[in-house]
Amino acid sequence: MDMTGNATVYGVMTRGIAGRDGAAATYWEGRVALDSDVAQLRRGDLDALSTLLTRYQNRLYRYLLRMARQPAEAEDLFQQTWLRVAEKIQHYDPRRSFEAWLFTLARNLAIDHLRRIRPESLDEPIGDAAQGETAATRLPSHDRPPIEGILQRERSQRLGVVLEMLPVVQREVLTLRFEEEMKIEEIAEVLGAPLSTVKTRLRRALERLRVILETSYPGENWQ
Amino acid sequence: MNEHEKIRALLSLAAADVLEPSEEKQLMDHLRTCDSCGVELEKWKLLAGGLRRLPTPQPRSIVVERARAQAQIRLTEEIEHCWNRTVIIGLLLFAWILTLLSWPLVRLFTGGLLGMLDPRFNHAWIVFGVFTTTVWLAGGAAAVLLSLQQRRERRLA
Repeated sequence: MDMTGNATVYGVMTRGIAGRDGAAATYWEGRVALDSDVAQLRRGDLDALSTLLTRYQNRLYRYLLRMARQPAEAEDLFQQTWLRVAEKIQHYDPRRSFEAWLFTLARNLAIDHLRRIRPESLDEPIGDAAQGETAATRLPSHDRPPIEGILQRERSQRLGVVLEMLPVVQREVLTLRFEEEMKIEEIAEVLGAPLSTVKTRLRRALERLRVILETSYPGENWQ
Repeated sequence: MNEHEKIRALLSLAAADVLEPSEEKQLMDHLRTCDSCGVELEKWKLLAGGLRRLPTPQPRSIVVERARAQAQIRLTEEIEHCWNRTVIIGLLLFAWILTLLSWPLVRLFTGGLLGMLDPRFNHAWIVFGVFTTTVWLAGGAAAVLLSLQQRRERRLA
């Protein structure tokens, strides 16, 4: 390799390392800011509460919407979760992940809500299997076959609809892993379940999701 | 279950990036020789990619603002409650210490005039002790009941 080639490789490597370092620095800055906000919130700082609410509003709402499925219920649970945060923050253990703690509060509220409003939804969201109703039959009208070049948005919409058909325990594990991008250990903390259980739920959820998708939209690319 | 079936069961978890390092190595070794598992893994990865790209629904701003306002009010109440509890505990301790200290102090300053307050184990001492404890317990119970009632009212509100 000549000098120019070496310089190019060196440049690419330097940029790569700098990029990696930059990302790591941003991550740590974010962590420090989060820890500082949580510490301030524990001291009763109203601004810290506001900052944390802004930081987590979309993620928390998305999780609650996946759990409850109804926007009105998700909004109600969203408000209840932040009230619960204000009530329980003095009991929060700073050695734990704040994110996991927050989602655990939200999950407990959502499960209580579902148990009260729709107890059947905690077990199986699909209707009576004996009557031949399956997840696929509950999909929105799909008269025409999938066409090439279908819009990403439409695919996502369908994927979202199919996701809603899974039982709540499978929906939540998928949303925590793929949408919230939580580590498996964090998911286990939120669910209060062992790692092996979380992995089993994740695998079953993915398998079920794929079966429904392949039955309903054969040959479609889900990326 | 043979090696191939075991690996098949791992593919969905591989797409979710939750395999243990040993499982990942096992998978990589298998993929070198098994094209069908490679194809299958690609399908799982496409599905995982689709899930990661799902649109993020956003809460209405009015809901966010309402949640913010309510949570701030509740936080202020909790802090006030916490402060009140600390003050009450402090006052209780102070009052008990004062009460206990007052007996020998009164005796000391009156030069033994109030002999009935002699902190030896006599009848007057027992009566005085029981009376003081009863008054304090009644006061404490009233405070706890009032606090519980307040909390219930706040929860209902």
